[in-house]
Amino acid sequence: MESYIALSAVMFFLGVVGVIARRNPLIVLMSIELMFNAANLALVTFSKLWANNTGHIFAFLVITVAAAEAAIGLAIVVVAFRKQHYVDVDEASTLKG
Amino acid sequence: MPAHPLGLEGTFPLLFLIWLLPLFGAVMIWAFGPRFKSFAGPLGATMVGVAFLATLAEWHDATAISGGLAGAHQTLFTWLPGFTFGLLFDRLTLTWTLIITGVGFLIHVYSIGYLAGDKAFARFFAYLNFFIFAMLTLVLSDNFVGLLVGWGLVGLASYFLIGFWFYKPSAVAAARKAFVINVLGDVGILFAIVVIVAHVGSISYGDTFLQIPAYTPHDLFIVCVALFIGCAAKSAQVPLHTWLPDAMEGPTPVSALIHAATMVTAGVYLIARCAPLWTASADARELVGAIGALTAIAGAVLGLAQWDIKRILAYSTMSQIGYMIMGVGVGAFDSGVLHFLTHAFFKAQLFLGAGIIIHHLGDEQDVRLMGGLRKTLPFAFVAMLTGVLAICGVPGFSGFFSKDAILSATLAHGHPWLYAIGVLTAGITAYYMFRLLFVVFFGTYRGKVDPSDLGIRHPELAGTASASGHHPAADDAHHVHPPAWLMSGPVAILIVPTVLIGWLAYGGDASPWKTFWEPVFPKVVETSAGFALPELAGTVLVFGVVLIGFALAYLRYGTPAVLAQSVPRLRTETVRMPTVLVNEYYFDAAIDALFVRPAQLLGRFFGTIVDPLALDGVVHEAAHTAAWLGHLFRSFQTGIVRVYALSIALGAACFAIYYVVIGVGR
Amino acid sequence: MIAFWLLSFALIATAVFTITAQKPVYSVVGLLGNFVILAILYLTLNAEFLAVIQIVVYSGAILILFLFVIALLSSGVKPFDIGPDRAPRIGIPAAVFALIGLCIVVFSVVRAQIAGAPNAPQGVTGTADSFGSVGDFGVALFTKNLLPFEVTALLLMVAVIGVVLLAGDEKPAPPRRKPKARDLEREPIVKPVETVAPR
Repeated sequence: MESYIALSAVMFFLGVVGVIARRNPLIVLMSIELMFNAANLALVTFSKLWANNTGHIFAFLVITVAAAEAAIGLAIVVVAFRKQHYVDVDEASTLKG
Repeated sequence: MPAHPLGLEGTFPLLFLIWLLPLFGAVMIWAFGPRFKSFAGPLGATMVGVAFLATLAEWHDATAISGGLAGAHQTLFTWLPGFTFGLLFDRLTLTWTLIITGVGFLIHVYSIGYLAGDKAFARFFAYLNFFIFAMLTLVLSDNFVGLLVGWGLVGLASYFLIGFWFYKPSAVAAARKAFVINVLGDVGILFAIVVIVAHVGSISYGDTFLQIPAYTPHDLFIVCVALFIGCAAKSAQVPLHTWLPDAMEGPTPVSALIHAATMVTAGVYLIARCAPLWTASADARELVGAIGALTAIAGAVLGLAQWDIKRILAYSTMSQIGYMIMGVGVGAFDSGVLHFLTHAFFKAQLFLGAGIIIHHLGDEQDVRLMGGLRKTLPFAFVAMLTGVLAICGVPGFSGFFSKDAILSATLAHGHPWLYAIGVLTAGITAYYMFRLLFVVFFGTYRGKVDPSDLGIRHPELAGTASASGHHPAADDAHHVHPPAWLMSGPVAILIVPTVLIGWLAYGGDASPWKTFWEPVFPKVVETSAGFALPELAGTVLVFGVVLIGFALAYLRYGTPAVLAQSVPRLRTETVRMPTVLVNEYYFDAAIDALFVRPAQLLGRFFGTIVDPLALDGVVHEAAHTAAWLGHLFRSFQTGIVRVYALSIALGAACFAIYYVVIGVGR
Repeated sequence: MIAFWLLSFALIATAVFTITAQKPVYSVVGLLGNFVILAILYLTLNAEFLAVIQIVVYSGAILILFLFVIALLSSGVKPFDIGPDRAPRIGIPAAVFALIGLCIVVFSVVRAQIAGAPNAPQGVTGTADSFGSVGDFGVALFTKNLLPFEVTALLLMVAVIGVVLLAGDEKPAPPRRKPKARDLEREPIVKPVETVAPR
């Protein structure tokens, strides 16, 4: 069981690194999906551990939400692309103070 | 009403007239001066004149005695319990008020002539009236705080009047010097008031004097010394005397009124008013007597080294007030007051006479450039002659009675050394006053002589016409010669009391003077027996010393042979004058080194080091730190999303670490 | 056991490939492999329904969405990743952080005693109501967790509306109301804002 959790942790941190280290927003979004899946794996593991399928339900809903989030994120990417014809996460820096 | 007023309680509307008319005059002239122009002079003089008449009208109330209370008392208002303000008009106050308003009136009239054509004619009379008001506040108060208020206002008026010609830097400096030294005296009196209130809980004279047995001798001495610091500052006693010679920068009527007759005698008034305090403290009396004698002789010695006619008179004032202080210091209060009275007249006389000379010569004040004025100004000569005879204590003139009274009292109270100093000073006084007379009035006129032939190295400093700053050509464009009686009238009037007023004290203990003061002053009981010189012997001794002084002055300045050679002789004397005397015993240098320079250095230290580095530095550093913090926090706001993501991750990690390591509360 | 290690190795490899691929399409492919392997892992955990859902929804819908967007964005000639790298070498602290975080998590997980249920069913498959099956899942979803289900539906609706609003047509919205005759005579108090010019 612990190995599953460790695996989930590894996947999660890979996702974090991907979010931080890549400049292409699409890859960033994909890394976020990776993080979601890591969480799902943990959920399912614990659900099996305690023989409670609430974890499955939760994972299912996570998938749904991830879908919605991916859709919105991609829509934002598309809109940004329309403006400047390239996409780069670093360009969204108007919060610079 | 204070618990123990010194006078009979009542309502005296004339007192308000006496007190407030000069104030009214001052305010009117301040407000409407430019419109009044030369009307300000008669207005001011009238205010004081009416006040004088009102004083005469109040004579009866002032001298009333009933049931242990003497004089008139009018309560004004109670500020706090124990702090009642009122007016007291008893014999002591009456004497001072008569001089203030009487001599003041004469000097107002004189000033109309002296300052005619001056640009600031009205302002002068406003200041002069204000001074009269302030001085009256001082002497009319029935409590220490009112005294202090008057004390301070008088110092302020003196500042105004000394610095009247404010375009002269020397006048401004002199005014400032006088004011600062006077403030020192104010602090002394304030300290005394604090001690008194701490002991008695009240500020009125009557309550204080009643509680004297409750003081320890130590506390009583402290109070007396603190009060005497005020007296020393105001009355120009050593070591706080340095302002008085410089105060001659003011116009001559100012010198006559303030620095001869009234303001500088405020110290004497205070001591006489607090007679019960001094009676109870022998140590304080010793101190005061000693300083009075020291001042008397120091002033006299400096007087014989001066070449400016007004400075000679200033030092003689300092010396004579030393006499007064010595008199009241040993416990002879009525003698001291008598000398105040006679001195007021003859010193005002001398100053006004000097003013006539100065005015006539176009603001020439250096006696080396005068001479032979006996023929040109015979009236001034007669006036100054009477004044000199009075100040020297020539028998028959007023000064004789008062000086003799003080000297014999000194001896009778057991102070042989003070007596010796006093007699010696009388001789020196005679010497330098007759020196003044001979140099100014005899011989030939030296006004056309080149100043360097007389040894005057810096004409601009030596009190010559250019130095006084009063440029007749500049502001006398419309100079109309005033009628001569404006200036000679008051002088003529003053001749009478100068000669005669001393006769009030004729007759020893049965004289009108002694009986007048009998119910007022407590008797000083000395522990040691005094000396009793037969009265005639004492008089002869003093007169002999005076004659010696006169003879020396005559031999040195007055013989026909000397007068023929006056220019080279004066030059020799100027050149050979000992530097100690020229620098006035280095008092000014010492004060400068001890107090002024350190204060300046301290100020410069604070100004150039502490202020920019510490104070400004603190502010700058605060701003700097705020800016630096701002920059620091700003550096976090890169605007780059990835960095934000990293920081979110780090933050979440911190939480996670916390929960993993420290653990959720179980 | 061997299966688990093989699968986990593959999982990690595909994840690394996803985040380090230079072209987005490669990343999508890597992600696809990741999801499939994850589905197999779910199967080892008796979560059959979820495994299928994972493949159908995640790799079947979401990744397709990604591919469509990549296709849309690649229609121009300009490449991705243009512009200066504003946070160069940020990967280093990210990697360090990830490593440390990972160590901590693994350490705590290994040390912790994860106590399971005493009678956890293991490896019983095939029956309609067994743990992780469709029936079991459906019962739980529509009875105990009905509210989250409905709310999630609402959330999906919001997402759809959001996408349409964000990336929808570029034509400006028509004016809300026609100005009346008397309004046209007066100076308008609020000048209308210039809308984006159509391309």
